[in-house]
Amino acid sequence: MAHTSVGSPEQYNYAIVKKFAIMALVWGVLGMSVGTYIASELAFPFLNFDIPYITFGRLRPVHTTLVIFGFGGSALFATSYYIVQRTCQTRLWSDFLANFTFYGWQVGVAGGAISYMLGYSQGREYAEFEWPLDLAIAVVWVSYFLVYVQTLRRRSQPHIYVANWFFMAFILATALLHIFNNLAVPVGLFTLKSYSLFSGAQDAMTQWWYGHNAVGFFLTAAFLGMMYYFVPKQAGRPVYSYRLSIIHFWALIFLYMWVGTHHLHWTAIPDWTSTLAATFSILLLMPSWGGMINGIMTLSGAWDKLRTDPIMLFLTTSLAFYGMSTFEGPMMALKSVNALSHYTDWTVGHVHSGALGWVAMVSFGSFYHMIPRLYDTKIYSVKLVYVHFWLATIGIVLYITSMWVSGIGQGLLLRAFDDYGNLAYTFVESVSFMHIPLVVRALGGAFFVSGILTMAFNITMTITAAKREQAAIEAKIAAKMANA
Amino acid sequence: MSETSKQAVQTTGHAWDGDLQEYNNPLPKWWVWTFYATVVFSIVYWVLFPAWPVGKGFTTGFKEITYKTSSGQEVTTHWNTRALLAEEIQMGAEGVKQREYLEKITSSSYEEILSDPDKMAFVRSMGKVMFADNCAACHGSGGNGVMTLYPNLVDDAWLWGGEIDDIYNTLVHGRKGYMPAFTETFNGEQANDVAAYVLSLSGIEGDAESIKRGDVIFNGQEGGCYYCHTHKGTGMKSLGSANLTDKIWTIADVPGVEGYDAKQAAIKSVIMNGVSREMPAWEGRLSDSTIKMLTVYVYSLGGGN
Repeated sequence: MAHTSVGSPEQYNYAIVKKFAIMALVWGVLGMSVGTYIASELAFPFLNFDIPYITFGRLRPVHTTLVIFGFGGSALFATSYYIVQRTCQTRLWSDFLANFTFYGWQVGVAGGAISYMLGYSQGREYAEFEWPLDLAIAVVWVSYFLVYVQTLRRRSQPHIYVANWFFMAFILATALLHIFNNLAVPVGLFTLKSYSLFSGAQDAMTQWWYGHNAVGFFLTAAFLGMMYYFVPKQAGRPVYSYRLSIIHFWALIFLYMWVGTHHLHWTAIPDWTSTLAATFSILLLMPSWGGMINGIMTLSGAWDKLRTDPIMLFLTTSLAFYGMSTFEGPMMALKSVNALSHYTDWTVGHVHSGALGWVAMVSFGSFYHMIPRLYDTKIYSVKLVYVHFWLATIGIVLYITSMWVSGIGQGLLLRAFDDYGNLAYTFVESVSFMHIPLVVRALGGAFFVSGILTMAFNITMTITAAKREQAAIEAKIAAKMANA
Repeated sequence: MSETSKQAVQTTGHAWDGDLQEYNNPLPKWWVWTFYATVVFSIVYWVLFPAWPVGKGFTTGFKEITYKTSSGQEVTTHWNTRALLAEEIQMGAEGVKQREYLEKITSSSYEEILSDPDKMAFVRSMGKVMFADNCAACHGSGGNGVMTLYPNLVDDAWLWGGEIDDIYNTLVHGRKGYMPAFTETFNGEQANDVAAYVLSLSGIEGDAESIKRGDVIFNGQEGGCYYCHTHKGTGMKSLGSANLTDKIWTIADVPGVEGYDAKQAAIKSVIMNGVSREMPAWEGRLSDSTIKMLTVYVYSLGGGN
């Protein structure tokens, strides 16, 4: 494979990519640690210590915000800025606005986490930010949109690469979702509290239109964009099918918008909305798999690399988990399955097979490819990349299997009848049943955290070495210049 | 880069970032056919169930449900979740079983229920769930209560009586338990003396002089404890006052502490601070048959004195 030359600082704005990549790792370590802690709280409730700031209820949105928006969001900013520059062969438009998106996004994430710990939350899942932060995030997001579109417009390539379609869809849809779901009337100018513009079932349906498309566009479409660049790059092979990428792209973004209501099956919503949500979820199965097929088939012919390249391990495993969770999702969206799975840990396991298996793994793989190139160096330790891979994989497997046991068991216990037509188990019996799986889940989380800590160390050493090399080269040049 | 691909497929001819290219492979056949299968599945679903909004209504689908309204009228309607719930409650196997047993409970006397193993098995089965949902928050899922706070229902001590009628009245009307605080009445030494006397009623002996002084306070006008607890210290059901002689403790945690002084301090604390607690009334919150069933259930836990 012909090595492409690394762009000089003048050609591409790498500084912004580096900043976002480093913050993604910082938020990742923090957010996943908080996740492991609250998982431990569920297994051992004394860990709440009666301190309000660290109780499960407050730390849970801290965890989701740090991993989705802090880690995932920063990783997407980093890779999308990297990809759009390299595939358009042009520098990012407006250093100022790009920097504004960086600082704005970091302040938004940190502000959210602090406000939840202090007890300020809108109470909308994955949209807990109170209204002033919502407004700030909207401004940052529109800036992101501007930077991205303007960069695309300045491309020196006639065609727009597929990864960029996915990023564009993600940026547009996220703006739409964020703004409409957070329409609210503040109680007063100097209060953080607000009332939603919607009420009752409409409010719930708006929230889950947002909630599921956060999964669909933020955690799926955008990371498919990442996949479409780094998988063919790392494999050194062309993308399997251009046609498939077009068809599954449009099918995916059209169908996702319909399915959010499957989060509200068997509640006080019109029955026809439930039907549409269930059937569109089934229709979504193959369009989702289009991305997996395109990724896996791109790798076919380069399978030998799995033995020598740990980055390929990350990318392949991420696609496998993507395929698995996008199969599991439509099944759980069927009303009869949902009657068992809803309100149980099965849902939590499902989300994490996507979040850890797909989102985090594809990000790790992409970062191991991208960061050494950003610093024009080699990774500090390939061995540690393998260590990270196995720690992460063991963690995911422990997490998902324990949540299947816990969730399906919980669902079965809560709807079991005895010989007299009475419910056979009380709620608390289902809770005590869940204890062991909850302990195993926390252990899985600990594995995953130790994985990202290994990565943080490896990346830190890589960057430090790169800076040392750079300084040595500069010193040599300076010495030569002085001698000349 | 290896270009020895077996595929005879051409790339689209574009290249990005040096080496990024795309083949133009056709869509995998199985992928297309599976997608069509999901379309067929969805259309069948839409034909059977409520699906598409049309004007102010929606397509109702061909699947129907028949159920009875509360006035006993039989109704057939298109599939919907409310009708489904009504149908399941009325005709579902579990609902039918439960209803038949509940009717037996309603129409039987307490004696008939208590002497029939089948009915008692039902009471234990449904009672466990109803108890867990309504009573366990205070009394614990096994009925063990919480020492110092909520009465234990599985032992032999009953503040308000453990017979069927007593338990039924407790459930229907609730109870208000009250003992005044003596912190304004007694000094510390007097309270110690009364505590020593109360301990001696359960056979835990201490300083004889102190017990004697406590006896005088307990059974005299100074303390007047005997008004409620009686001279023998056995308590009165009508007041819900505790029997102090049965070696069963529910408010002062005497068995939970080691050593005479600690036991004395536990009782002293109750004397000085008093007791005020309430069990809510369940009439109107639970159906008559459920209260009846729960009465038998609680009685079966440890009732009867």
